[in-house]
Amino acid sequence: MGALNVKVVSPERVLFEGEAASLVAPAWDGKVGVLPSHAPFLTLLGTGDVNVDLVGGGSARYPVAGGVLKVLADEVIVLTESGRTISPG
Amino acid sequence: MPGARDVKRRIRSVENTRQITRTMELVATSKLKRATDRVNAARPYSEALSDIVSSLHAPEYAEYLPVLRRPERVRRAAILLTTANRGLAGAFNANLIREGRQLLEKLRDDGVEVDLHLAGRKGLAYFRFRGEPIASSRTDISDDPTVADAESLSGSLREAFEAGEIDAVYLISSEFRSAMSTPPRTRQLLPLQPSEGALSPEAFILSPTAVGVLRDLIPLYLRNMVYRALVENAAAEQGARRTAMKNATDNAGEMIEHLTRTYNRARQAQITQEIAEIVGGAEGVG
Repeated sequence: MGALNVKVVSPERVLFEGEAASLVAPAWDGKVGVLPSHAPFLTLLGTGDVNVDLVGGGSARYPVAGGVLKVLADEVIVLTESGRTISPG
Repeated sequence: MPGARDVKRRIRSVENTRQITRTMELVATSKLKRATDRVNAARPYSEALSDIVSSLHAPEYAEYLPVLRRPERVRRAAILLTTANRGLAGAFNANLIREGRQLLEKLRDDGVEVDLHLAGRKGLAYFRFRGEPIASSRTDISDDPTVADAESLSGSLREAFEAGEIDAVYLISSEFRSAMSTPPRTRQLLPLQPSEGALSPEAFILSPTAVGVLRDLIPLYLRNMVYRALVENAAAEQGARRTAMKNATDNAGEMIEHLTRTYNRARQAQITQEIAEIVGGAEGVG
């Protein structure tokens, strides 16, 4: 199974960029999970945490409030409104 | 010929000025570094968001989204002109103000009423002096513009456009090509410029719908355009100031060199004259 190329980006800067095994994001209507080979997908985000499960184990969590998630050919881009890492590792 | 003492005083004064301009140059250099980092850090968000918005955007959505309306005739337009709060940055502010004035005149010639929105003390001072009516002004945007600054600027313009109060919005700011090249640039924010999308919306699973996504993203997109402009403008200002202060420092150096030569000549002349006087006096005694 391949890996996802994930980018979590706020208007000011790139918060996370790297490979991930999977990702769970709070879409506007409930949580969505993204695994490699996901269909092209574009959704608005609600409020909550984006959880990125890293390839080598461990995870990173980014709080978001609005924004958008785009998945295309295993490239995942999360455009967040507010973005700080809460607990990496 | 000025006396040696006067020249000495001038030299000291120019040295003081050089000290100040050199310090300002150093300050601008360090601020430029941070401002450039911010410009670069803002790019990925900007590119990704433009990509999504331009690919989803279709003229027929205007029926659902007033922000996409395309007025047939522009009766009233808004100009958002960003300048610096401070001067001593060469032609930086003058260039922006000239760009703004040209657009203002062009629109007025076309019979368009214009609302002037000014961000930055320099632009405000100019248009206030000219007695232009000013729709709004902001002088509290720092060297480190925030997303909230951009939101407060773009939000009210977008709402006025949606409500049909204005039919076009132009944004004037400096393009930050490099520290040396910061030309002013006019961009049309609204109506949105249609651009060919890199990806077609049919290929995507959209949640909720294309219109729903755009309804949320277009305000972010507009805000981001303004945010980029503010960040680039801040970097351009520091770049222009650094260049201006470097020139001032160099010129002061040249001036000191010139004055030092004048001083030495005056001093030499004085000594020669004194010797001549002593010799003359000694001959008179002998």
